[in-house]
Amino acid sequence: MIVGLVMVAGGMAAGLFGALLGLGGGILIVPLLTLGFGLPVREAVGVSLVCVIVTSSAAAAVYLERHVANLRLGMTLELFTAVGAGVGGIVAFVVEERVIAALFTALLVYTAWSMARPGAATVDEAVTPVAPPSAGDFRSSLNGAGYVVRRLPAGMVGAFFAGIMAALLGVGGGLVKVPVMHLVMGVPLRVATATSNLMIGVTATAGAVVYLARGGIDPFVAGPTAIGVFFGAALGSRAAHRIDVRTLRLLFMLVLGYTALQMGRRVLAV
Amino acid sequence: MRDLERTVGRLLSLGTYASVAILAVGVGLMLVAGRSPLDPSYPALDPARFLPDLLRGEPSAVLWLGLLAVMATPTARVVASLVGYVEAREWRMVVVSVAVLVAIATSIVVGGAAG
Repeated sequence: MIVGLVMVAGGMAAGLFGALLGLGGGILIVPLLTLGFGLPVREAVGVSLVCVIVTSSAAAAVYLERHVANLRLGMTLELFTAVGAGVGGIVAFVVEERVIAALFTALLVYTAWSMARPGAATVDEAVTPVAPPSAGDFRSSLNGAGYVVRRLPAGMVGAFFAGIMAALLGVGGGLVKVPVMHLVMGVPLRVATATSNLMIGVTATAGAVVYLARGGIDPFVAGPTAIGVFFGAALGSRAAHRIDVRTLRLLFMLVLGYTALQMGRRVLAV
Repeated sequence: MRDLERTVGRLLSLGTYASVAILAVGVGLMLVAGRSPLDPSYPALDPARFLPDLLRGEPSAVLWLGLLAVMATPTARVVASLVGYVEAREWRMVVVSVAVLVAIATSIVVGGAAG
């Protein structure tokens, strides 16, 4: 009984910090389960995907009701992330767990680095809600009010790889999707973030069903963790504007660095 | 389109709350039964036993129901969008929506069959 409650608490911590720092919590769940509870990496990834679906659905609901997410663009790109996630899920069961752990360590390092960069702070852009499509061709139907979607094919390729990464490592993939949409496709940051959140639900689902079909999800782990993550994220998203995020970011980078070290050691030692 | 977004947003909210509620019941049952999540053996989802187990209040079945609800939520969002696009006669988005559903279905089939 105690272990179950501790797992809920761990999930809450992961969800809380994920929401406070805009990371979605996926990056914390795998280390929590592998380093904290001794679960095999692949099992942890399956559980993490479930948690990521929950937080993504909750966040996307808010973004959609505020009309900040670009539903058309999101759905077009998520076709590619979903295919990528299916591929990633299958690959996850083919490669050695150590490879997954090594890739995850690299992701931790990359996440810490991207948080350290000065451009990591959110840009407060005034975004007007997305207007209905005007012109005839498909690409322009994806445009939003005040911006034009560029380089759609590149975005599709990026989305595909984000999907593979998401299903392989148990994260949402926003770390790839948001820059691809914002920097490559010219979508405003706020819209890119909201749209990415929307896409993550389908991406993680496409990955999770592979784990489900392979018997790779433990319901007794997924249940408590997902509950914890949901409540932690709900709390975090309400508290976010009241907390000074800068100190938190620094602390978080240290946590990520330490976690990367621990996971890296396991990769080399095992 | 704003109506579609609002509808879809509400669907996601509903799905999330329902899934979490079911999972909470499952976790409660699990804790009461003294089942530890660290026990390395766990029941995979067995379609044949799922319904009887659920009616008996088996923690694993309730948890599976919750997990299925979690995965069904974004899927339902795609279906709702599909319906909305059909009504709006946006045929390209209808094709996209169908393709997403096919991608998810393919993942299930190929994922289960591979290896």
